[in-house]
Amino acid sequence: MKQQNNALETQALNLYYGSTQALIEVDIQIPKNKVTALIGPSGCGKSTLLRCFNRMNDLIPDCSISGSILYHGEEITGRSTDVVELRKRIGMVFQQPNPFPKSIYENVIYGPRVHGIKDRKELDAIAEKSLKGAAIWEEVKDRLHDAARGLSGGQQQRLCIARTLSVGPDIILMDEPCSALDPIATAKIENLITELKEEYTVVIVTHNMQQAARVSDYTGLMYMGRLIEFDTTPVIFERPKEELTENYITGRFG
Amino acid sequence: MQKNRIESQTIDLFTRQNKEKTISCIWLGTALVAVITIILILGFLFKEGLPAIIEIGIPEFIFNEIWRPTSENPSYGIYSLIIGSILVTIGAIAIAVPLGVGSAIFISEVAPPQFREAVKPAIELLAGIPSVVYGFFGLIVLTNWLRILLDLSSGATWLAGSIILGIMALPTIVSISEDAISSVPKDFRSASLALGATRWQTITGVLIPSALSGITAAIILGLGRAIGETMAVLMVTGNAAVIPDPIYNVLSPIRTLTATLGIEMGEVAIGSTHYHALFGMALVLLLITLFVNLSATYILARIREGQTGSSRTPLFSHEQRKQIRSIIILSILVASGWISFQIVGFHGIAILAAILTLGYVGSRFLSRQSKEKIAFGCVTIATALVLFALVAIIFDIVSNGLPAITWEFLTESPRNLGREGGIFPAIVGTIYLVIGAIAIALPIGVGAAIYLNEYTLEGRLTRIIRAGNDLLNGTPSIVFGLFGFAFLVIFVGLGVSLLAGQITLALMVLPTIIRTSEEALKSVPDSLRHGSLALGATRWHTISKVVLPAAAPGILTGTILSIGRAAGETAPLLFTAVVFSKRFLPGTVFEPVMALPYHLFILATNVPGADTQKYGTALVLLALVTGIYAVAILMRRHAQKTVRW
Amino acid sequence: MTRSFSIRSSPAFLAGAVVLLLAAALVSGCVGSDPSVEQRSISVTGSTTVLPIAQIAADTYMDKHPNDEILVSGGGSSVGVKAVGEGTADIGMASRDLKSSEMEQYPGLVEHVVAVDGIALIVNPENSISSLTLDQIKAIYKGEITNWKDVGGSDRQIVVVGRDSASGTREFFYEAVMQKEEFVRTQQELNSNGAVKQTVAQTPDAIGYVGLGYIDTSVKAVNINMDGVLVEPTIDNVENKAYPIARSLHMYTKGPETGLAKDFLEFLMSAEGQQIVSNEGFVPII
Repeated sequence: MKQQNNALETQALNLYYGSTQALIEVDIQIPKNKVTALIGPSGCGKSTLLRCFNRMNDLIPDCSISGSILYHGEEITGRSTDVVELRKRIGMVFQQPNPFPKSIYENVIYGPRVHGIKDRKELDAIAEKSLKGAAIWEEVKDRLHDAARGLSGGQQQRLCIARTLSVGPDIILMDEPCSALDPIATAKIENLITELKEEYTVVIVTHNMQQAARVSDYTGLMYMGRLIEFDTTPVIFERPKEELTENYITGRFG
Repeated sequence: MQKNRIESQTIDLFTRQNKEKTISCIWLGTALVAVITIILILGFLFKEGLPAIIEIGIPEFIFNEIWRPTSENPSYGIYSLIIGSILVTIGAIAIAVPLGVGSAIFISEVAPPQFREAVKPAIELLAGIPSVVYGFFGLIVLTNWLRILLDLSSGATWLAGSIILGIMALPTIVSISEDAISSVPKDFRSASLALGATRWQTITGVLIPSALSGITAAIILGLGRAIGETMAVLMVTGNAAVIPDPIYNVLSPIRTLTATLGIEMGEVAIGSTHYHALFGMALVLLLITLFVNLSATYILARIREGQTGSSRTPLFSHEQRKQIRSIIILSILVASGWISFQIVGFHGIAILAAILTLGYVGSRFLSRQSKEKIAFGCVTIATALVLFALVAIIFDIVSNGLPAITWEFLTESPRNLGREGGIFPAIVGTIYLVIGAIAIALPIGVGAAIYLNEYTLEGRLTRIIRAGNDLLNGTPSIVFGLFGFAFLVIFVGLGVSLLAGQITLALMVLPTIIRTSEEALKSVPDSLRHGSLALGATRWHTISKVVLPAAAPGILTGTILSIGRAAGETAPLLFTAVVFSKRFLPGTVFEPVMALPYHLFILATNVPGADTQKYGTALVLLALVTGIYAVAILMRRHAQKTVRW
Repeated sequence: MTRSFSIRSSPAFLAGAVVLLLAAALVSGCVGSDPSVEQRSISVTGSTTVLPIAQIAADTYMDKHPNDEILVSGGGSSVGVKAVGEGTADIGMASRDLKSSEMEQYPGLVEHVVAVDGIALIVNPENSISSLTLDQIKAIYKGEITNWKDVGGSDRQIVVVGRDSASGTREFFYEAVMQKEEFVRTQQELNSNGAVKQTVAQTPDAIGYVGLGYIDTSVKAVNINMDGVLVEPTIDNVENKAYPIARSLHMYTKGPETGLAKDFLEFLMSAEGQQIVSNEGFVPII
């Protein structure tokens, strides 16, 4: 029954880049319809873990893993897993806003289109819904056919979120989505994240502990490839069990 | 005291600014070289071509289809030659673009990295095969093969010309497109894949559109070589000055403007109407090239605007674009139907219909993964075909040339018209010519690219420089030869000399170096420049220490392609630098030299009984170019390994 | 991630540039020339048809006179005329007569006939035809006869192969065989004797014309039927005027020849020089 509440779960996950081990025996349960933050110093493996969930690590030539990753209780590390379908269900937002060099509209409907939707009306509807979902509709609705790269950084990042929403995922992975943005744009994205958890499970990697504290329901601290502690956000920030966690969130290292 | 200090600082600042200004002026100067050259060439062609155009009259000259310049009742109509040039080029595009872009996709996106390391240089090597060799391969192997395969009375056809030109354009198209595709930011790939797109969807939906400007530049450059190509075409198309009947008959012999120039320019009587008409023809050829390049540039600019977001309305609305696309697809279908009917009769139509049905069924019912497999299969086949052409031509040269290679052949001067003895002076002459040409063209070309990309904003001046450059790229090599003869040899007074040849070759390869260097500079992210400038570095310091090293691999690609072209060219040297035989190596740059391609050309055309030496010369030329390539490729690899961001 | 690439990679780039520059310097300061005194040098350029004669003659001459250098190059008859007229070459070679426009532009040119070139009709060895009349040849090249069966061969389309419009060989063929009537427009036009031979050798139904020196076993030379007498294209037959299709080859000097040019032309006209002419498959003039 526990599986019902976990959108993602790893068991004894190890990951190697060639001969260096980047993840060591990671066990984590990501609850459904919650925001889970992964924090930790640079190089601790938090982004690597995030990229395991949608198998983006497949793109790195000498990357290998052992252990298991369950998506709604289903093993996704095997060769038989349909990676394309998996990535459709588990969306990802990157550190740098990376809209394609196309129009705003073309960016949003890129996903549905590759998944075979051709009907113009349906695409229009998806575009509007996704842009509204990413709280950018009002700003761009009159210039949908302008180039996406003409938008501001914060707008570009929300467009990327809209692009992710357009294929109808149930999980959204965010890899430091605000690190390239100013405080106002960051605040907008943070509000958006809070709204998104109504419908989606969100996993966010962040360097910014205040951000983790503000937006997340659960927080995991990673260090040197291990998951040190994982609990609800208030527990992590107020009564951490591990000394390492306390040292990190109080700023004594990292 | 205080005041003094401020003064000295201002002076310091002032001189630094002066230095920057001087540097900027130098680059502007280099950028103008291409423009000045093309103006000189145009002026020269105009001066020599005008008498004929006045005498014949423009309508008669352009629209009469009978070219009979040396008959009793001469007729100087070049219509059929214009049509011939256009048709051969279209055919070459139809062959080279799918194969070239397909291979580029395969090499950069599908194949494992080790394969890329091995295959990319190999394909670039194709650019180093002298056009005379392509011509001979075409004449001896390809036309014969077409004749037997299609049961024709003669294989010298439009089709053969297009195949040879297509193969010649391939190395440039593959190499530069591959650079463009692999320089698309990794982020785009990740984003598309993270949306659940397959790799193939990512390639067609994101990578190719993003790399479109680079790919278009590649196609323009590749075809520039093809359009200006003389030696290869004139050996394989049959050169009958007729318009194919019907117009889509790819098995008709055909004659192009360049072939006519290449064949007739050497023998025509100076000062006759025929002579002036040939210059008029060269002018027409350049104007056609100019038109094609300007349209390509215009379309390219619109594509870029669409990507970077300037607010002009798109060229066509969404619906119009859809209509245009369906019209184009329909006409391609009809055309390919006719062509296959022409070649293999009703079976052709049946096969085409079967392929189309399969394709339609496939697009409707196949899963995306299966489509991806099929698409990857196709690009693999494209690469295999390109490699097959490479292997076939190289095998032809090596197997026929190896028996000629002896120590004597490599180290002695030719005797008995090159039937005996060796080709040592020609080897040395070619090395001198190529190195001199690159030493002249590289600084000028890179300087021009720096000026275009770093020192100025897009405006009228850059457009003029680019147009001049494209025009120079499309100028037939034979015209460079004539220009070199008239301008450097006679007007400047260099005489037939090594230096005149080096300069002529340098001018010929300049467009390739400028174009590829510019693309390379463009692919260096602005954040690097800003990072350096923000540290207080001057613009020149930023360029020389940050931008140029990062762009080095791309610049080297351009240089490699240029070396190949410079080493293998005959036409520009014909009147400017070469002699058939010379006992001593040149003592100064003002003496003429021997050169391998020219030696090969004379052996092939006017010395009976030198077949082995002919192939031996081709093999040595190929090996020499390979050697120079190897150095450049190693440099590029080193640069690529140390430059990462 | 902007690592310290600039420092690490610029040596490679610099090294490359240095290699290029060094090599360029080599070009200008290169060694190899003969130190002897009183070296004379002339350049001979022009028709690629005449080039073999000039080159072998130059080699032989230079073997005897090591202080003289004769540089031979080919670019075409017009290049020869222009180069000698403009003074960039000492001797110009041409496989055709001077045109009126050239005489106007370069009035001082002096003509020297150095050899005669016989033109042979060739067909593929598989072709059963072994002789043709001049009228038949003319009809084939005019496009009036398009099938080998009309001249006694098998029922196959004739592939007509000729030379380019500017070729001296074609011009001569046009005057001597075609009597200034037009060639069929579908004839293939190739730019050299070698290419014509190659095409005829691999195309079963082709006919072409080349200089006598090019005839070998890969093609079959056609005898000319002169009112029932079959004349074989050989040097002897051209020399005794039995063979009808032959033209003279020229060298031009600007004004009367002097110095090395004079010595060289004299050598060419000598018995030894004319022996070279016939060795190369051309017909001597003495």
